Amino acid sequence: MKKFLFAALALAATSASAAPFVYPAAWTAEQNTANKRGGELRLSILSDFKGINPFTSVEADSIPGTMDNGTGLFTQDPRNDEFLPYMADAKPVVSNGGKRFVVKIRQGMKFSDGQAITADDWITTWKIHIDDKVGSNTYDSFFLNGKPISIKKLDNYTLQFDFPQVSSGAYVTMSYTPWPDHVFGKAYRDGGADAVKKLWTLGTPASQIVSPGMWVLESFRAGERSVFAKNPNWGDWNKDSRGNALPYLDKLSYRVTGDANATLAAFLAGQIDIAPMRNADDLAQTKRAIDAGNLKATLLPNVSPQAQSSWITFNWNKASNPTLQKLFRDVRFRRAMSHIANRKAMVDLALGGLGVETYFSVYPIFTQQIAAGASAPKYSYNLAQASKLLAQIGYTKKNAQGFLVDKAGKVLEFNLSTNAGNTTREQLGRIFADEAKKVGVKVNFTPIDFNNLVGQLTAKGEDRPFDAILLGLSGGDNIWSFGGNVTPCGANLHSYNNPTNGKCLTAQESLMTKLYYQGDAELDDAKRRAIGGQLMKAEGELQPVIYLVGGNYHVAYNERIGGEYPRALMNAYYLQRDPALTFIK
Amino acid sequence: MIPFLLRRLVQSIPTLLLASILIFFVIQLAPGDFLTPAKLNPNISDEQLVALERNFGLDRPAWQQYLFWMGNMFQGDFGLSFQYQQPVLNIIWPRILNSLYLALMSLILFYSIAIPLGVYGAVRQNSPGDNAVNVVLYFLLGFPSFFLALIVIYFILQVRNATGLDIPIGGMTSNNFEELSPLGQMIDILKHLIIPALVLAISDAAGLTRVIRGQMLEVMRSDYVRTARAKGVSERTAIWKHTFRNAILPIVAGIGGLLPALISGVGFLEVVFAYPGITPMLLTAIGTQDLYLIAGFTVITTVLLIVGNVISDILLAVVDPRVKVA
Repeated sequence: MKKFLFAALALAATSASAAPFVYPAAWTAEQNTANKRGGELRLSILSDFKGINPFTSVEADSIPGTMDNGTGLFTQDPRNDEFLPYMADAKPVVSNGGKRFVVKIRQGMKFSDGQAITADDWITTWKIHIDDKVGSNTYDSFFLNGKPISIKKLDNYTLQFDFPQVSSGAYVTMSYTPWPDHVFGKAYRDGGADAVKKLWTLGTPASQIVSPGMWVLESFRAGERSVFAKNPNWGDWNKDSRGNALPYLDKLSYRVTGDANATLAAFLAGQIDIAPMRNADDLAQTKRAIDAGNLKATLLPNVSPQAQSSWITFNWNKASNPTLQKLFRDVRFRRAMSHIANRKAMVDLALGGLGVETYFSVYPIFTQQIAAGASAPKYSYNLAQASKLLAQIGYTKKNAQGFLVDKAGKVLEFNLSTNAGNTTREQLGRIFADEAKKVGVKVNFTPIDFNNLVGQLTAKGEDRPFDAILLGLSGGDNIWSFGGNVTPCGANLHSYNNPTNGKCLTAQESLMTKLYYQGDAELDDAKRRAIGGQLMKAEGELQPVIYLVGGNYHVAYNERIGGEYPRALMNAYYLQRDPALTFIK
Repeated sequence: MIPFLLRRLVQSIPTLLLASILIFFVIQLAPGDFLTPAKLNPNISDEQLVALERNFGLDRPAWQQYLFWMGNMFQGDFGLSFQYQQPVLNIIWPRILNSLYLALMSLILFYSIAIPLGVYGAVRQNSPGDNAVNVVLYFLLGFPSFFLALIVIYFILQVRNATGLDIPIGGMTSNNFEELSPLGQMIDILKHLIIPALVLAISDAAGLTRVIRGQMLEVMRSDYVRTARAKGVSERTAIWKHTFRNAILPIVAGIGGLLPALISGVGFLEVVFAYPGITPMLLTAIGTQDLYLIAGFTVITTVLLIVGNVISDILLAVVDPRVKVA
C-alpha cells in the first residue's frame, strides 16, 4: 500500500510539473473569449470510412487519421513552418553529425482510456509499421534510401532516433502517432502481424477504441456517420493561450455524403459546417445562398494555390520510334512545348480564372521554396519563340495542312493522353493541342482509362508505351518540397526517363539527382531552400516536364463555428483551422 | 418437395461455378488493379508497392488468384476486401440488410399502390378515374427513379425552408439516433425509409399496375367468372377470389427475380438519398477495383437469384393448383 501511495504521489508530482503545450494566440483569428464549450463540429466525407485500425488503414481521410489529430512529437507552426516540440518536452538533442536525435517525451500525457503515454507506445508503433506483413501505408517513412531508421527507448520518457544519414525530413519522420502499446503491443507480441490486423475492425465496439489524440471514436454507422468525442485526457496537456483545456468542442462528426454535389447541398442546407469549394460553380451557388439569406456562412475565394501539380511529360525511352525519341530528348523541343502552353488561357478557361500558372515541380503554395528559386528560367507562352526553336531543330517547312514537316516530309506529330473523365485535364490538353496547331505541331490528344495511363507512365525500359502524358501529382510536404519518387533518376515517377538501369541521361538530370539528396540532407532551412533554388534552376533549364497550372483553394464555413486561422495562415497545406481552437458560437 | 429442392440444389452448383468464373475473370479484364492509384503517390516507394502486391496476392496470375478465392469460398470465406482490410462478408451483410429494409418497405408500398390501382382500372375500365390513373402512371413510367428522387428532394428542401419541418432527406438515421429509445430508433429509421421507398414504389408501380389491369380484364371476360357471376356470387368474391387470384399468376412467377433485384435494384436511389445500402458501397468498390468485394457480392446475388427462383416456383404451386413442384 505504501509503495502504491508513493507511486501515485510520484506520478501526480511529475504530471503536475510537466508544462502543457500552449496553443499560440496568433493561431486563431477569432479567440474564444466567451469561454464557449461543447457542441459538435459537423463535417462530411465522400465515401465511407473503411477501417479503424491505424496500421492497415489506407485512406487519406480515415478514422485513425482523425484520432491522430493532436499527436506527434513535433508539430509545424503555420506561421513559419517551424517545428515546435509537441508531445516532446523540448527540442531534441542532436548529435552524431545530425543523425542522432534524443527526444524527451512530455510527461503526464494519457490515452483516452487513462493509460499514460510512454516511450513504449512509440517503439511498438514503429515496430508494427515496419513489419511488411502488416502492410502499413507509412512503412516507407521509416526508411531513408532503403536504409532503416532505428528507434531506441532510453527510459520510459526518452527516445533515441538514429538516422542512416542526415535528413531534413527527420522531424516529420519522428512525428508519427504513438498507438497504445497496451493494445497493439500485446497482440503483436502474442500473435504477430495477423493479430494486429484483426484488431479494431469496423465491428469493434467504439468503447474499445483508444486514442492518443484530440478525438476518440464514439460511434460508427457504416455508410452514414461517424461521431468522435473529445478525449477527456487530451486537455491535460493542451491549453489555449489563457490556460483553458482544449478542445473546446465536445464532438466532431463526419457524415457520408457519397457525392460532391450532395456535400454542397448539405452545406447549403446548413447540415454541415464546412464544405470544400471545388470550382467557380460551387462558389457561385454558395454566394447565392448567402446573398439570399438562406445560409449564414463565410466564403473566402482564392485563399491559396492547391498543393497539386499538373504537367505534360515526354517519353525519352522510345526505342521503337527513334525520330520521336530524338525529338523528345532535344531540350529545344521541350522548351518550345513550354512556350506553346498557354497557361493564362488554361487558368481562364479550364479553371474558370481560379488558379495560377506554374513552371516548376514545387507546388506554388510552398511560397518560401518558390521564392528561393525566383531566378530559375521560365519558358512562358510565346508562339514566335516556339517556332524559332522548332526551326532550329530542322522544322522549317509546313505542308498543305499547315503542319511542320521534316526533310523527309514527315509531319511533326505526337500522341498526348490524359485520364478520361477528368474534365479539367481534358480541357488543359485541348488548349495545349489547339495552341500547338497554331505553330504547326500536330498533337493527337486522347483521354484514356486512368489505370491504363498509370501503367504506361510508370513503365520501365528502353521502349515505353507512350509519347506524352498530361497528368498531375499531389502529396509531399513543405520541408523539402521535391518528390523523392519524382526527382532522382531511377525513381518510380521519374516519368520522362526511366530506362531499365535507371541511369540519368543528361548532366542536368544527374545534377538534379545530386541536389535532391543534398537538399534532403541539409538541416538548415535557408541553406536547404537555396539548394532547392539550384534544383529549380536545373529543372527550368532542362524542362523535362512541362508544368502547366494549379487550381486555387477556397474556404467556406458556417457562421456558427469560430476559431479559424487568421487569413494569412489559411492555405491548402494548413487548411482553414485547427480543430482544437474551433468552437461553436 | 424435398426431392425438388435437392434437384435444384444440385443444378445450382454448375451454374454458380460458371458464374463465379465469369465474374472473376471479367473483373480481371479491367486494366490496372487496386494499387494503381498508389503508383502515382510521390511518397510510396517501389519496394513498398511490391510488398503490398505480395500482401494482397496481386502478384500472382489471375487463375491462381481464382483458385485460391474459390477454395476459400467453399469454406465460407469470401476473401479480404482491399479497401477495408476485412472479410468481405462482414462488410456486405450490414449493407445487404440496410438495402433489404428499404426494398421491403418499398415492396409493401409497391403492391399496396399497384394492386388496388390495377384492379380499380380493370373494374372501372375507361372511367375518368381509370384514365387519370393511366395518364399519371404513363408519366411516371418515363421517369427514371433517381430523377424523380432529385425532384422530390428539391421539393422537400423547399418545404423545409418554408416551414422548418425536419423532414429527413438522406441517410438512414438522425444525428441523435444513439440517444433514442429502441422504439424511437425504429420510428427514426421508418421516417428515413418512407420517402425513398415511396419514390421507388411509385416509379415502379406504373408497370405492374398496367400488367394487373390487363390480366384482370382478360380473366374477367373468361367463362368461369361469368359462370360464377351467373350463379350469384357477390361482386366482391367474383373480383378478388375468382378473378384476382388467377390474374396474379404471372406476377407470382416473376417474384423469383425480385429477391436479387430487391438488393441490387434499390440502386441509384440509395446514391441520391445517401442511403447506406449496397449500391454506394459497390460503386466505390468498382471504382477502386476492390476485387474480392465485387466478386463476393456478385456471387451472393447469384445465389439469391437461384434461391429466389426456387421460392417463386414454390409460390406458384401454392397459388396455381395445376402446378406441382415435386
